[in-house]
Amino acid sequence: MTVAVKDNICTKSMPTTCSSAMLRDFRSPFDATVVQLLNDSGATIIGKANCDEFGMGSLNVHSIHGPVVNPHQHPSSALDWPVRERRSAGGSSGGSAAAVAAGMCSAALATDTGGSVRLPASYCGVVGLKPSYGLISRRGIYDHLQRWGVVSFADSLDCVGIIGKDVISASQVLDVLSVFDERDPTAARPLTRERAQELCSEHMAEWASLPSGDFTKLRIGIPQEYFPVSLDSSIVSPFRRVVRALKDRGATVLPVSLPNTSYALSAYYVIASAEASSNLARYDGVQYGLRVPLPPDSVTKSPGEAYSHSRTAGFGAEVKRRILLGTYALTADAFDNYFLQAQRLRQCIRDDFMRVFRVPNPLARSATPNVAGVHVLLHPSAVRTAPFLDEQDGLDAYTQDVLTVPASLAGLPALSLPMAVDAGGDGWPLGVSVVGQWGCEKMILTVGSTIENAERGTVVTSPG
Amino acid sequence: MAMALRRLRSPTSSLRTPHRLYGTGTTHANTVRRSEQGGPWPGWQVVIGIETHAQLKSREKLFSQTWTPDLNSVPNSRVAPYDAAFPGTLPRLNSSCVNLAIRTAIALQSDIQQRSTFDRKHYFYSDLPAGYQITQRYNPIARGGRLFLPQSNLSVRIEQIQLEQDTGKTISEPRRRNLSIDLNRAGMGLIEIVSKPDMRSSEEAGEYVRTLQAVLRSVAASDGNMEQGSLRCDVNVSVNRQGQAPGTRCEIKNLNSIRFMVAAIGSEVHRQIDMLDSGGFVSHETRGFNEDTGETFPLRSKEEAPDYRYMPDPNLPPILLTADFIASVRNEMPALADEIRERLTLHGLTQQDTDVLMAVDSGNEVDFDGRLNHVAVTYFEEVSKGRNPKTVVNWIIHELLGQLALRKKPFRENPISVEQMSGLIDMVQSGMVTGSSGKLLLRQMLDHPSSEAPSRLAGRLGLLANWGDEFLERLCSQAITDMPEEADAVRRGAPNVINKLLGRVMRSSKGTADPQSIRRTLQKLLSMP
Repeated sequence: MTVAVKDNICTKSMPTTCSSAMLRDFRSPFDATVVQLLNDSGATIIGKANCDEFGMGSLNVHSIHGPVVNPHQHPSSALDWPVRERRSAGGSSGGSAAAVAAGMCSAALATDTGGSVRLPASYCGVVGLKPSYGLISRRGIYDHLQRWGVVSFADSLDCVGIIGKDVISASQVLDVLSVFDERDPTAARPLTRERAQELCSEHMAEWASLPSGDFTKLRIGIPQEYFPVSLDSSIVSPFRRVVRALKDRGATVLPVSLPNTSYALSAYYVIASAEASSNLARYDGVQYGLRVPLPPDSVTKSPGEAYSHSRTAGFGAEVKRRILLGTYALTADAFDNYFLQAQRLRQCIRDDFMRVFRVPNPLARSATPNVAGVHVLLHPSAVRTAPFLDEQDGLDAYTQDVLTVPASLAGLPALSLPMAVDAGGDGWPLGVSVVGQWGCEKMILTVGSTIENAERGTVVTSPG
Repeated sequence: MAMALRRLRSPTSSLRTPHRLYGTGTTHANTVRRSEQGGPWPGWQVVIGIETHAQLKSREKLFSQTWTPDLNSVPNSRVAPYDAAFPGTLPRLNSSCVNLAIRTAIALQSDIQQRSTFDRKHYFYSDLPAGYQITQRYNPIARGGRLFLPQSNLSVRIEQIQLEQDTGKTISEPRRRNLSIDLNRAGMGLIEIVSKPDMRSSEEAGEYVRTLQAVLRSVAASDGNMEQGSLRCDVNVSVNRQGQAPGTRCEIKNLNSIRFMVAAIGSEVHRQIDMLDSGGFVSHETRGFNEDTGETFPLRSKEEAPDYRYMPDPNLPPILLTADFIASVRNEMPALADEIRERLTLHGLTQQDTDVLMAVDSGNEVDFDGRLNHVAVTYFEEVSKGRNPKTVVNWIIHELLGQLALRKKPFRENPISVEQMSGLIDMVQSGMVTGSSGKLLLRQMLDHPSSEAPSRLAGRLGLLANWGDEFLERLCSQAITDMPEEADAVRRGAPNVINKLLGRVMRSSKGTADPQSIRRTLQKLLSMP
């Protein structure tokens, strides 16, 4: 197995820059848990992958290494790089998705805080899995894969994720990484893992045991709030095709409502930025990383002045913007109205999901099964195909995440996989997302694999 | 009358109901106590509250598995990537620190919370590598409680107890125009204990810290050593005219001995009274204490107070404690100081002897992770087995401690073993050596530590009492009195029976007397040819 590793996951043998001038020459004294697990399993790590600085961005353009160019091209074309359309690979894990899409490796480790695995996967036409929070060690970055060794952006959201060329390769990496790491305080305890597995198996038995491909009893929910006006109309027809394919196999498809979805983006940016302002306080040029000497005309020569000098030089514009936003959200005057309010909304969003799932929440103390609920949710991964690298404006980049942040806020597993490129679109990939209850990775991978098979059989008609 | 008034200060007294509630945060007294007329500041009431930071005596740091440093650790030798806030590291809570905090809470009758959480307190400083300190702002591990001060006969209420990280140390080198940073201390576990503003004089404040120090040591939570920085105090002081509302408080930070704290309070009270007397007002500020001038000086005003941007720590799960767990901590707690005092009193020791013996350890008894090793008390109890405790305690307190102090050695470096000390006391008690020779022997053993028995040493130095005379006769007479039948048998012409008496004398001289001399003396006393 060949694997690329996102550059915000610590490796002893290679630099870990987080795409930041702050850590341009930084080398970690340890390997992330996920890197260690991959090494132990005999995987070959081919290198570090570009990303948005500290994972902050949706287009992978905020990087000292330059933007990531989406390597996709239609199977029928064979244009040289210079004459291809320059489109974004998505962010923040653009390098990981591009490496897999370009065939440089069979899988890549990435991180997902608000969509950083699923969005690039959608834009590059590969499979992206964001596991349940707490499953993979972040001391690398997955939280459903544990996090030890993953450079923190927003601890309560950061997950180590996997990008693979197909569902099988993503599952194989997941199997290697999904172990308990006692060094990650946010890693789910072995008992919780067991309970989640039992619940998942129990509910999969209702349909997955039937003869191959028969999904009578599988209940799929389509959240109605996931079709905002900004959603490109060309996404609708391939999405319908996926839904039809599942219906053809006997699945019941139901409309469901997640009424607090519209608050998710604002809540996400407040929480993620607040945590980022805290987590990035450590980059002061004292213990490691960039240190810019004070100019000779420095007035105070105080530690504060020395820090601001190094931090001003070391962080890019997007990181600075989020640090300032997050710092404000935590000030005594703003804390209640921003940070606490965002936490309340986060809980509402979580509750929305818990209401629609059939599988009880393994993290809750008492769990009553919801017979009217659905096994998984299905929705488009993004509102559009990959944007051009030169068509950027600030706020638009933030709204790329609108369909991915709710699962992040709720800590749920989500899988994005490519839909067949449709004649009605622009010829660029589109992802469909399968979201499950906490710990139901196996379930979303099974549904995902069925969609993958169905989409492979799809004959893409020529435009017209 | 004074006593009666002071008793009324007990928090259970109905007089202690809150006089007024102040919500502004600039005044901090919520009770009014009458203080005796003619105190050091007639007509004024002084209100004092204390925040104490105690370093937990745990083997490992609060959130990393790094060993905590000792006084001899090379700077930056006890630093793991987490302690230096390396990217990708995460905290893991040390249960031993939680355990020590619970013990402290039990000893202070504080209400241990079933659920407590960690928060980040943000500020930029060179000895705080992460840019934040993990503390317990919103949900501390224990709330409420009290500490009784016997001399002041006052029960001081405790506001709360919280767990937090210590910072590193910044060492300023003005000559090299450098700041050096030592992260050995960074991330060590601390408990912050916040008192209510219940103290009314610097003496009460001094007794509060001394008593708290003893409590921390008795539960092995901290060695409470102010000089070495393992116990640090911030003191809040305000004054008001008798009968008027509490005044604006000032906080004096980083006081590192009880003596300086008492001096700082005195100076601060004077400053505030002078200010008010001259028609001015006290502004709410943080002050430092200059140990050379004995005066406080302004550090920053309330307006300059930083916004710490507290945020719940997103990595650390809450501490959940069950009643069963708290009970198990309680059961494993070492004997409290009071219980040890009681035991020593049963040995017949005076209050004063007990105090001296217990003060000997001064924190050194506190071992890592909740173990306690009362070196001096244990030494006393071992030596006094089968001996007169009063005699033993005199030897230990007056001779041994005195001689150690002369040599500037702490008790834990005492080279004289329990066996050696026991032998020495026995020799003096039995008259084998004189009292002054005994003291000489003790000094000899301190200056030339070895495992040699004191009797051999005495022999080598020629300090043994003269066996030819009186003393040997006394031992022999005693043997004859103790064994009348054997003595009669010898007198009646059974000479071999004398060996039984001889054996007796050998034993009572602990083998130091010469058998031939004993035989001659016994023969003389029994009028044998």
